[in-house]
Amino acid sequence: MFLTRSEYDRGVNTFSPEGRLFQVEYAIEAIKLGWTAIGICTSEGVILAVEKRTTSLLMEPTMVEKIVEIDKHIGCVSSGLMADSRTLIDRARIECQNHWFTYDEKMSVESVAQAVSNLAIQFGDSDDDGSAMSRPFGVALLFAGIDEKGPQLFHLDPSGTFVQYDAKAIGSGSEGAQQSLQEVYHKSMTLKEATKAALKILKQVMEEKLNDTNIEVMSMTPEAKFHMFTKEELQEVLASLPETREDSLRSTSNMTPSIRTSLSMQSQ
Amino acid sequence: MALVDREPSRYLPDYDVQAPKQLHFSPYADNGGSVVAIAGDDFSIIAADTRLSAGFSIYTRKQEKLFTLSSNTVLGCSGCWCDTLTLTRVMAARMQMYEHEHHKTMATPAAAQMLSTMLYYKRFFPYYVSNILAGLDSEGKGVIYRYDPVGHCEKNYYVAGGSSGALLQPLLDNQVGYLNQENVEKVPITKEKALAIIKDVFTSAAERDIYTGDGIFIKIITKDGIATDFFELRRD
Repeated sequence: MFLTRSEYDRGVNTFSPEGRLFQVEYAIEAIKLGWTAIGICTSEGVILAVEKRTTSLLMEPTMVEKIVEIDKHIGCVSSGLMADSRTLIDRARIECQNHWFTYDEKMSVESVAQAVSNLAIQFGDSDDDGSAMSRPFGVALLFAGIDEKGPQLFHLDPSGTFVQYDAKAIGSGSEGAQQSLQEVYHKSMTLKEATKAALKILKQVMEEKLNDTNIEVMSMTPEAKFHMFTKEELQEVLASLPETREDSLRSTSNMTPSIRTSLSMQSQ
Repeated sequence: MALVDREPSRYLPDYDVQAPKQLHFSPYADNGGSVVAIAGDDFSIIAADTRLSAGFSIYTRKQEKLFTLSSNTVLGCSGCWCDTLTLTRVMAARMQMYEHEHHKTMATPAAAQMLSTMLYYKRFFPYYVSNILAGLDSEGKGVIYRYDPVGHCEKNYYVAGGSSGALLQPLLDNQVGYLNQENVEKVPITKEKALAIIKDVFTSAAERDIYTGDGIFIKIITKDGIATDFFELRRD
């Protein structure tokens, strides 16, 4: 993948002669192994959709929680190492509560992304005041929230870079999904259209057939704020999706999760 | 023998001393001063006298005690002047940091909450300052917040604080809050009326309180910005 891979990919504090930090680049690669997550920001609100891979039939699917609430007005979806995302989400939640405590107001979505980014770039060797993180976080986050600037979507990657997006896909199917998002997205999209578009794209990139247990969808609207779709709501949206030719070809039983999934995703 | 001679216990009485030992540490000064603020539907007025004193002596007759924190927030301080200096500088620094961090100016309610937490963080060695914060809320309505030295915060629309606080508050209750008046029409206060009342109450305070006098600085906060006024008080 990287032609000049050498000793320079061992430490996170050493640039390669070409000026690259390989560990950070590898961390970004790690996300591409994770589940696909999609966020679309419309004028009515933001939608987050994510695939939930179950590595075993015996696994309890409700235990996999990929979309979480940061505060009433901010939701977050992650892709990559689940355990790493917990640390970042914890920080985001703390920062939100701290902001509320000190200023008696909701923290803006951008400020939350900034605060979490500050934690994400603290990788490096340990210094005098104790141990530092030994590696970058192997996780990308999408923050969907509403503040005084209206609905907003932010993407944060392991390098600590955060960028605002109208629509963004992360995870294994992100390249194809991002392409599709570019085609379908327009500024006057309604939230309903965005929800359908997100699921349609998720359907294209997912190996399994979409159903009400292997996806999670959240809407962030000025009225309802953070809202996780119930099974019934999911079924309603799924039913409205047009049937594709692949649907009939795919096994409907979901009895065989892909080998790739079961082998490499157990910790993710 | 030399060692024994220097043994300190030999020179102390061999019985318990009955009188309590007194240790003196007085880190605070009371430099006086009064602050009055009145808020209306689309404005907020805050005024503070300009006398800085200690006991029977006057340090200066021209000390401004109002601190403009943003384009729609003003903090008025009275009490221990050295604490006021530190508190307002920390406050200004925090406002600046907030602006850099969040790319917006801190709103008055946010500044009000921050001041409360800042004061409470010094719960056991407080800033000896009586604070009154005046400004406009997110809808452009006038708001006043008053504090005790350890961070208790109360939102109000007319407040008197400082050395004449106890003297002026009932007067404002009556004139602005229409308390203890019978058959009175409770009309919302106008900017002109508020300004006139503030000048009147300070004139009254200067008659009775030796820590208030010389003059008052007035800040009138509206959506268009902050206007400043000055009014002379008696100087004796």
